[in-house]
Amino acid sequence: MTDKSLDDRTLHFSGVASRLRRLDASMLLWLALIALLAFLVLNPILRLIISSLQETDTGRFTFANYRVAYGNVRHLQALTNSLELGIGVALLATCFAVPIAWAISRTDMPGKAFVRLMVFAAFVTPPYLGAIGWILLAGPNSGWLNKVWMALTGAGHGIFNIYSMTGLILVVAVTSFPYTFVFTSSALDLVSSEMEDAANILGARTLRTTLRITLPLVTPAIIGGIIISFLEAIALFGAPALIALPARFNVVSTQLWQFFEYPVRVEEAAAYAMPLLAITVLMFWLQRSLLGRKGYTSVTGKGGERRMIALGRWRWAMLGYALFVCALSVFLPMLVLLQAAFAKAWGRGFSIDNLTFHNFYYLLVEQTQAKQTILNTFVYSAVTAFAAISLSLAIAYVVSRKLVPWSNVLAFLCVAPFVIPGIVLAIGFYAAYAPPPLALYGTATILILGFTTRFLPIAYTSSAAGLRSINPEMEEAVRILGGSRLLAIRKVLIPLLKKSLAGAWILVFIPATRELSSAIFLVGPHTRVISVMLFDLSEEGNFEVLSALGVILLIATVAIAGIGYRVIGRDFMLRRN
Amino acid sequence: MFTIRRRNFVIGSSAFLALGIGQNGLAQPAPSMTPHEMELYNAAKEEGGELTWYTAHSDDITAQALGRSFESTYPGVKVNVLRTTAQVAYQRVTQEIKASAVQCDVFSSTDIGHSVELKAKGALEKYIPENASKVLDIYKGYDPDGYYFVTSAGLIGIGYNTAKVKAADAPKNWTDLLDPKWNNNIALGHPGFSGYVGTWALTLRNQYGWQFFEKLAKNNPRVGRSINDTVTMLNAGESAIAGCGPVGTLLESVQKGNPLAIVYPTDGSVLILAPSSIMKGSKHPNAARLFMEFLMSKEASQIWVDHFNESIRPEISPPKGARSAKDLKTIRPTVAEITKGIPEVIKQWRETFGV
Repeated sequence: MTDKSLDDRTLHFSGVASRLRRLDASMLLWLALIALLAFLVLNPILRLIISSLQETDTGRFTFANYRVAYGNVRHLQALTNSLELGIGVALLATCFAVPIAWAISRTDMPGKAFVRLMVFAAFVTPPYLGAIGWILLAGPNSGWLNKVWMALTGAGHGIFNIYSMTGLILVVAVTSFPYTFVFTSSALDLVSSEMEDAANILGARTLRTTLRITLPLVTPAIIGGIIISFLEAIALFGAPALIALPARFNVVSTQLWQFFEYPVRVEEAAAYAMPLLAITVLMFWLQRSLLGRKGYTSVTGKGGERRMIALGRWRWAMLGYALFVCALSVFLPMLVLLQAAFAKAWGRGFSIDNLTFHNFYYLLVEQTQAKQTILNTFVYSAVTAFAAISLSLAIAYVVSRKLVPWSNVLAFLCVAPFVIPGIVLAIGFYAAYAPPPLALYGTATILILGFTTRFLPIAYTSSAAGLRSINPEMEEAVRILGGSRLLAIRKVLIPLLKKSLAGAWILVFIPATRELSSAIFLVGPHTRVISVMLFDLSEEGNFEVLSALGVILLIATVAIAGIGYRVIGRDFMLRRN
Repeated sequence: MFTIRRRNFVIGSSAFLALGIGQNGLAQPAPSMTPHEMELYNAAKEEGGELTWYTAHSDDITAQALGRSFESTYPGVKVNVLRTTAQVAYQRVTQEIKASAVQCDVFSSTDIGHSVELKAKGALEKYIPENASKVLDIYKGYDPDGYYFVTSAGLIGIGYNTAKVKAADAPKNWTDLLDPKWNNNIALGHPGFSGYVGTWALTLRNQYGWQFFEKLAKNNPRVGRSINDTVTMLNAGESAIAGCGPVGTLLESVQKGNPLAIVYPTDGSVLILAPSSIMKGSKHPNAARLFMEFLMSKEASQIWVDHFNESIRPEISPPKGARSAKDLKTIRPTVAEITKGIPEVIKQWRETFGV
């Protein structure tokens, strides 16, 4: 007999008064949680929508902001540019991710562990750092790839131009394909070989089976990946600021930034941000209605026998392709970033007399801000990870044990920030909490609150998944023996969940260390984080110092993730347990 | 369990922070302070011993050098140096004013129009530094009411990469930039970011009309953000010509061994007068005043000269190999023209260059 039905029966027998009492207690909890979520999620978004309809000084109702925001050809052009960027990135990331995911999950391709590690490395690399790497690689006259090309062919100018829409799509795709990879490979891990066997028996060869049977079975995962990389791409700020500006086009995020120039026009920015919100909601609706009608029942979680497909000689071709993608996303950008970080002038190339530690010395000794900034980044990210996980664990527990009525509302609010682009969320936070009465502008609190909201969906998804794997029986045993619910949580649940919580902590921590788009409007001079400092330094194009700071960020992040890996003892991101 | 851990983490990290800040608290001040400075210095230490300086006057390296020099002259008073382009600094300051949470103590833009606007809005604190009367005449008295003062100056000329362009072929004046042979080879900054570039664009608009930029756009220049980015592009070999070359940064780069050279255009180098002021609501008013004195001191001018920029004090002679503004033909708009003109120029630039 479960806890709940016991409670239900007691209720039946004990009359209206005690029923109300019980409702009150749970109501209080519900109210507390919903108030917290309303503060973090609902209010900033409502404020954003409301201020998009307000006059700047008087606060009167108006549509003028929308007229100004869309009454300019360049602003509309930025909107279509963003769509082009999003679609391009989504498609390219799929081309990168799906074959690799398939090869790792379903075939006997060699070097799987290494390729997995490189995909993880691509996940850790912030897009703006990838963009700097690619500027050094494919600057039209000075990029390494172009210099090599000119040296080999004797041509007068290079063939790659990173300062273009194609260049931007490439840069964003190589840093966002891990999302599609993770989705696809974890779905492929669950597909059993039975249906492939059936196709083989009916005479289909490997390629045909893969294209007609295996991949269609994981369509939901692939579409999920496409949507995530699309949304990532249109919400991104750093990489477009570095590449689109010299390429002389704008995207929505760089245009939004312009509304924050003097005079600050939060209201117009809010109006201009609305399509981003609408597009994201539309995408998720589309995903539901696309997938809702068909059955993908092979993904049951039970899984029959799984065998690896023998590719024969083709396995080397597959490895070649995987390494090609790794080269674009990790080897090449990392090589040039490291070179620049240790160079007096990166253009002078790989030589001993160009080698220096001065860029690191400058950052760690001479620069008045860098030390504080580095410390801020990791403290805020760690606190954010704790806050997001504590909150989402509480809510996931309340939801999964159905402790309060309408618990689904809580769950919905937790994952809602997922569809809000970071830069839009930041504008909402700025409008809601920067001015008095709360006056949080320039404090660490507003940054941590913003980050917590931004990464709440990741934390919630991980905590809820962890909780689902634990049968309530064990808690009930505690309660039957007279222990309180809190005792049950403390002594049973938390110890059991320790590993998945540590995994969730890292999953929030890593993106928080590199978050730029929601930080850019919320930082003050004392609360700067590495991503914003990189953005400021990039104005002067000082790539040596930029690269050194990027290297510090990457090393520290990887070290912390590595410790996490040791603690939880498994590959937390790339494999299902 | 989690609250305890989190608390420990915060306590631990704040201890780390406190240790970091405490490092330079014990040094002794310089003996040569005037009584006025001494008074400000003691008051500055009492009110917390730090200030935040938003500056667009130089590259990050020079700005940090100024900050360190101030800290060693006045030990125990720390400067947080935030170097960005002028428009980004202004954006952050106006964001702070809008949120009624002013964080910036001393604001140094390169767009003198910002000072005029902020003064009109009542966002500046009045303070007339003692050193204000000791600078060269050309830098004196831009605001008789005492809300902002010119604390640095710089020249814009044309830079080129000597490995790519022979001296004889280099542009001699601004209109030479329109020559189609420089197609794809000119680096520019952006007036929507850089105050130097904004003033430069306004000066050339006054001189040649906006058509100049419509023709320049046909040469497909590479548009960065900061004016200093043009020097980076020359050093990297990405561009052959810095269409708006900041002379100080160019000279410093030459001295480091980069193959660069400067042309002072025959139709006039653009002279930038860059102001500084104290923000109203500054939480460190005495440190801010002390810093204003410092910016107009001989010591600060010496650092500017060490980094190949103009000196604003008569006692400090210009850097070796550099020509001073007073020996050159210079052009510049009036303060009123800048205040009205730069917002216009930014708009026109966006239409012409697309960003």
